[in-house]
Amino acid sequence: MSAKKESKNPAKTAVKEKRQVAAKLIPIYIMGKRYEVPEGLTIMKAIEYAGYRFIRGCGCRGGTCGACGTVYRKPGDYKLQVALACQKTVEPGMYIAQIPFFPANRAQYEFADLTAAPEEVFKLYPELFRCVACNACTKACPQGIEVMDAISALKQGNIAEAARLSFDCIQCGLCTSRCFGELAQYHMFQLARRIYGARILPRAEHLAEMVKTINEGRYDQILDELKHVKEDELKKLYQEREAEPMAAGEDWKPKDTRYL
Amino acid sequence: MSYLGYPDFFEPYIKKVEQTRPARVEKRKKGDEFPFMSLEERQEILKHHPDYKGEGRREIKVGPNKGYRIAHEFVDLLEARSRVDPDKVDLSRIDYETDVLIIGGGGAATIAALIAEENGAQVLTATKLRYGDANTMMAEGGIQAATKGGKDSLYYHYLDVMGGGHFKNDPDIVATFVKQAPDALQWLENLGVMFSKFPDGRLEAMHGGGTCRKRMHYCADLSGLEIMRTVRDEARNRANIKVLEFSPAVELILNEHGQCAGALLYNMETEEYLVARAKAVILATGGAGRLHVQGFMTTNHYGATADGIVLGYRAGVPLAFMHTVQYHPTGVVFPEQIEGWLITERFRSEGSDILNVHGEKFVNEREPRDVESARFIKECLDGKGVPTLTEKVGIWLDSPMLDILHGEGRVRTAFVGKWKVYDRLGIDISKAPMLVYPTLHYQNGGLKDNAECETAVPGLYVAGEITGGLHGENRLMGNSLMDIVVFGRIAGRNAAIFVREKAKEGKLTLEHVERYRKELEEAGIITDRVAPMLLPDYTRPEVKEKQLTVSYLGTLR
Amino acid sequence: MGLAYYPGCTLKTKARNLEEPGIASMEVLEFKLEEIPRWNCCGAVYSLAEDDLIHQVAPIRNLIRAKEQGKNKLATLCAFCFNTLKRANLLMRENAEKRNTLNSFMDEEIDYGGEVEVVHLLEVLRDEIGWEALAQKVKLPLRELKIASYYGCTLLRPREIAIDSVENPTILRKFLKALGASPVDFPYATTCCGSYQIISNPGDISEYAWDILGSALRHGAEALVLTCPLCDYNLGRGQKELMKKHSEFKGMPLFYFTQLLALALGLDSQVCHFELNYGSPESLLREKNLLS
Ligand SMILES: Cc1cc2nc3c(=O)[nH]c(=O)nc-3n(C[C@H](O)[C@H](O)[C@H](O)COP(=O)(O)OP(=O)(O)OC[C@H]3O[C@@H](n4cnc5c(N)ncnc54)[C@H](O)[C@@H]3O)c2cc1C
Ligand code: SF4
Ligand code: SF4
Ligand code: SF4
Ligand code: SF4
Ligand code: FES
Repeated sequence: MSAKKESKNPAKTAVKEKRQVAAKLIPIYIMGKRYEVPEGLTIMKAIEYAGYRFIRGCGCRGGTCGACGTVYRKPGDYKLQVALACQKTVEPGMYIAQIPFFPANRAQYEFADLTAAPEEVFKLYPELFRCVACNACTKACPQGIEVMDAISALKQGNIAEAARLSFDCIQCGLCTSRCFGELAQYHMFQLARRIYGARILPRAEHLAEMVKTINEGRYDQILDELKHVKEDELKKLYQEREAEPMAAGEDWKPKDTRYL
Repeated sequence: MSYLGYPDFFEPYIKKVEQTRPARVEKRKKGDEFPFMSLEERQEILKHHPDYKGEGRREIKVGPNKGYRIAHEFVDLLEARSRVDPDKVDLSRIDYETDVLIIGGGGAATIAALIAEENGAQVLTATKLRYGDANTMMAEGGIQAATKGGKDSLYYHYLDVMGGGHFKNDPDIVATFVKQAPDALQWLENLGVMFSKFPDGRLEAMHGGGTCRKRMHYCADLSGLEIMRTVRDEARNRANIKVLEFSPAVELILNEHGQCAGALLYNMETEEYLVARAKAVILATGGAGRLHVQGFMTTNHYGATADGIVLGYRAGVPLAFMHTVQYHPTGVVFPEQIEGWLITERFRSEGSDILNVHGEKFVNEREPRDVESARFIKECLDGKGVPTLTEKVGIWLDSPMLDILHGEGRVRTAFVGKWKVYDRLGIDISKAPMLVYPTLHYQNGGLKDNAECETAVPGLYVAGEITGGLHGENRLMGNSLMDIVVFGRIAGRNAAIFVREKAKEGKLTLEHVERYRKELEEAGIITDRVAPMLLPDYTRPEVKEKQLTVSYLGTLR
Repeated sequence: MGLAYYPGCTLKTKARNLEEPGIASMEVLEFKLEEIPRWNCCGAVYSLAEDDLIHQVAPIRNLIRAKEQGKNKLATLCAFCFNTLKRANLLMRENAEKRNTLNSFMDEEIDYGGEVEVVHLLEVLRDEIGWEALAQKVKLPLRELKIASYYGCTLLRPREIAIDSVENPTILRKFLKALGASPVDFPYATTCCGSYQIISNPGDISEYAWDILGSALRHGAEALVLTCPLCDYNLGRGQKELMKKHSEFKGMPLFYFTQLLALALGLDSQVCHFELNYGSPESLLREKNLLS
């Protein structure tokens, strides 16, 4: 339920995956077979409504895992469209097929040995240069990523750009399923992001410092004491702690520095 | 017809929000905050929390926690039969052999796998869905660690965790947690996780509910996705980590010395049960949102069905803190297509107001989650919720404020994921507020362990959302992503050490399953429920009524 | 003045010594090279197979990006990119059937009919600035530098896209003159260096390279000026081998035309990235007092 108002017995009145009984039914074709489902449902819920129970093709149900890649076509239109089944609402006459798995090539590598040189990517994925700029990948991406541009960036040796452009990638593989050059774009992007994160973005020095401070034992005693403080005393310390204001900037300093 | 993408029905309500907005923005700019509740006030408000409803729970009649009152949905699973008749399983025929068996394919599991491998172990990971389909993937907001020495320290992180958990947390676990957190974060940085940083490399950070320092670090609004896909990528680089997908564990297997020595796996496609023998086992099956406790919607992934709790409990591991369940204050109520979907706490951390039907503030937006949720529920019970087209009510989350406070485009850039999904539904959340209500989010408690991830069963380790202790009675945002890194690493290391130093060869057994069955019988529980549940069932009753097969013929129903 | 510019992928990786001095020099000449947005690699070699339309997609998409920006001209520095883009453009202008097919294939883009003109930077220098005007801007004349012009094939072939007379090109010679250098003529100026054969047949290539380098040497050249990274690779890579084989050969520096331009315009030699050149071009320049 989300928010039943003043329900006396919440468990009873609760609606799990709520369906509106009154909704209009529309026809859809799941793997070519016709079913009637209420409009307004996502493709995922529509398939369940039809009576399917997912094993594959369903993961987070929230648009972030990439398990539910789906291709569809609408009547009278030659265009193949793509979507995440958990995000896209059904439309009348849709022909739906899921692609829960696609065999994509992934290179093995020893991350510790990689540098930020563009050639590292070229070596691991020589097929990168098979891209013909057909743009089918961008059209296929349910996340709206400029996939072709990110591939171009990699070819141009711009790992940072590829990493940034591909940040929203949920690795659903839909781009790969459509690629003329048989590239597994999302694996290349993953490599680019890791190189970017570890080798190109500047390191967090304050973090390294904190790790060092901890290893030197600065907080050992205070933690030990805290562990043995009685609940009432702990509550007191808790309420006394000074709060960093919401609007504080990076340079905010607390007044109380005893426990830093 | 619509107003800012919402049906006309909402127009007058949205207008109220717009009317009060300029004044509220001014207050924000001055640093004027809605007062926090005192500990006493919190206690009072918490009476409206679903956890405090007596009728929602019952005593469990069997197992190590006999007499413990927890939600019906959990008891139903714990008082259920095994999926298999243990006598029919031939434990002398081994299908998979490994040093460390990891059950689960989420963050805790994958991180444990990496560290176990680094400590010399052969690793087999058995997971229920695809590798990485997990709650970890869905986390958006961020990950906590005290990293800024000039203003934060382990002391403050410790107090925040304890306060959030109502001071009931396990102090040892919390101390280990805050102490290891910065190192864990650095480990992620080394693996190439793209944290949001200032140009000089400093980690961006913000507040979360219940934090006294800005210590929530993040990777735009896809923190969990970025962490999960990075550690998964690394695991795929390691030849000694093997992965079985769509192969959930349905029982733990022990050996004659009482050590955990593997698990019975279920191939969901061929419907075979397979024996995996190991020298140590790590359970990391995550949470339980898909049990829809008290009928609530959930933010969790499809496989969050408390399987590991069932497996561990049957093998003799007690529960801790299972009496509390976390409801995230801000799940979507409308539009319906994304009902239950999580709106990250970061919207509030960055300064979006929480408003009732009159466009008024009624709570500080950074109370701990249970308090915040309970306060929302109360506001609605008091008749000050925003009505929707269906019978539901919601609360406004005023996202457009962020563009005013932090500059135009803030919502679009800092919350790309959310913005896109709403945009597809015709709503621009940098212009229109979001309508939310509490949604089932996190399993605060779980299997009891210690700071070394050890359980009552030697050779059985646990890590991540499946455990109980770190968060006490209520988890703070950002501490569970850190939980899986800190304790995933500890579990991985300790399991590998167990393999080397303590594991003994011995006959495999499922006797504990048989014992548990007897216990149920003695408690007078006669049921045809089976557990673990593996996947929720959303089949409509109308369809179910027509599924009339009398018995299964192989996998054909 | 702004000029839409297509860099090409090699200029962003290996051949920064072609791109950076070019951009800096044009700035001095009051032309701003504006990189077109979202360009992609052009696909390397103009596809010769008649029906292989898919390989035209990449270059044409770049032309569309220029058109989207409201540009009617697109400049390149790399001779190879020039060749690929210009030939694809020609196809779009002249072959209605293929134009239609390609436009309908790229249905997410605006229609394209060859409206944009593809030019090589040398043409811009010649036609829009003029050799005399250029000569006036020279601060450090490249006096006494004896350089042979090597066109390779991509600036001149096929005839329809040539930037100069195919039989007797003079554009590079005039360019060098304007910079104050001493151009050296030699018979191999427009001979193909072997291009992509290098990948399948490295032996042959060093023979090709020797034909070219040896001839330039015999005609008194101290260095070669180039417009194409692939030529640079082919002619530079084997020089050590050649020095072993031919005792009279002491190596020959290869310059991109943009490097010489920047030098002559008095720009800081750092933008030239000489460290990316084969051999040691800097010692020759020092000898001639062109570099301190
Ligand atoms: C929407 C959302 C947002 C969140 N945001 C944040 C946040 O901002 N900050 C934060 O700190 N935390 C956040 N959390 C919480 C956090 O993401 C999780 O608690 C944490 O990632 C859990 O990790 P885990 O590895 O324990 O479990 P999971 O990541 O859920 O992994 C469990 C794995 O076990 C598998 N599995 C389940 N049963 C079986 C079985 N029987 N056999 C084999 N495998 C099985 C599952 O398929 C899955 O792969 C959020 C959670 C959700 C749902
Ligand atoms: S880039 Fe490819 S794998 Fe990534 S989200 Fe887009 S279509 Fe899916
Ligand atoms: S689909 Fe493949 S070939 Fe086409 S543009 Fe994308 S990466 Fe290049
Ligand atoms: S010609 Fe070469 S350098 Fe130029 S863009 Fe095409 S492939 Fe890249
Ligand atoms: S590489 Fe060779 S083939 Fe090429 S342009 Fe240069 S000369 Fe021609
Ligand atoms: S189920 Fe995860 S993206 Fe749709």
